[in-house]
Amino acid sequence: MIERQINKKNNISDIEQWAINGDKKYSKDEYYCPTRDIFQARLSGFLEELRKKLTDDNRAFLLTAIVGEIGNNSFDHNLGKWLDVPGVCFDWDPDNYLIILADRGQGVLTTIKKVRPTTNTNQKALQTAFTETLSGRSPERRGNGLKFVRQVAQANSIEISFHSGDALCFINNNEFTIKLTTKKVPGTLAIIKF
Amino acid sequence: MKIELKKFGQLLISRPAGKEAWLVAKAYTLSELDDLEKIEVDFNDVLVLTPSWADEFLTPLLATYPKRVSFLPSTNQTVNNSLDIINR
Repeated sequence: MIERQINKKNNISDIEQWAINGDKKYSKDEYYCPTRDIFQARLSGFLEELRKKLTDDNRAFLLTAIVGEIGNNSFDHNLGKWLDVPGVCFDWDPDNYLIILADRGQGVLTTIKKVRPTTNTNQKALQTAFTETLSGRSPERRGNGLKFVRQVAQANSIEISFHSGDALCFINNNEFTIKLTTKKVPGTLAIIKF
Repeated sequence: MKIELKKFGQLLISRPAGKEAWLVAKAYTLSELDDLEKIEVDFNDVLVLTPSWADEFLTPLLATYPKRVSFLPSTNQTVNNSLDIINR
């Protein structure tokens, strides 16, 4: 039990490091999902465990939807454009009610800039991604995923710290703030507390 | 015609899965639709629906069959939140 708690805590910290520097020593097989299929399979297992942990099934479903949107976004926007390592790292710490997802993709600014070239900072890119229906995958009509994440998180007391580049988007209840941070994440890093 | 989404899975999450479901539904289910027949979408036993999956399946369904599609009520919050966001 204690060993598992330490392992999970270490995994969360390792995934944060991997998001920042891409060092392979931080991407362990137990949480690294090189393909979407592997991510989907782990997401399914995550939901089963979460339903045992939480008394409210709807909360487990909502958290799975949030994780599914963020994780699938990594594949939707970065296939063939990964910075170095393909895929996502995804793990959770049930004892501390924490979920973490990260990718080594091109980051939100690069994808938003493709459709709105005037966007020139990571902060503006996150603002657009979480508040407007605009997708980097032009001409496809999409771009609702992160709006959904924000809406569900704010309505259900789920806290999200979403990093991309030098920007951090923080969501919790009525709070929605975007600011500069010293943590530089080339792709994306999401930390969810529930 | 009633389309039971649980037949496509209980976790309806990714865009590729939604797109594949739409193509299969067009080929094998909606091809049996009579002229002007209404379509009811049933979310019963779906555990998780995301806007990404919904956008690949429900958006083209609504566009292909305007005024013929209705969504049966659901108590699942992922269903209601996803429908809310794709309908905006």
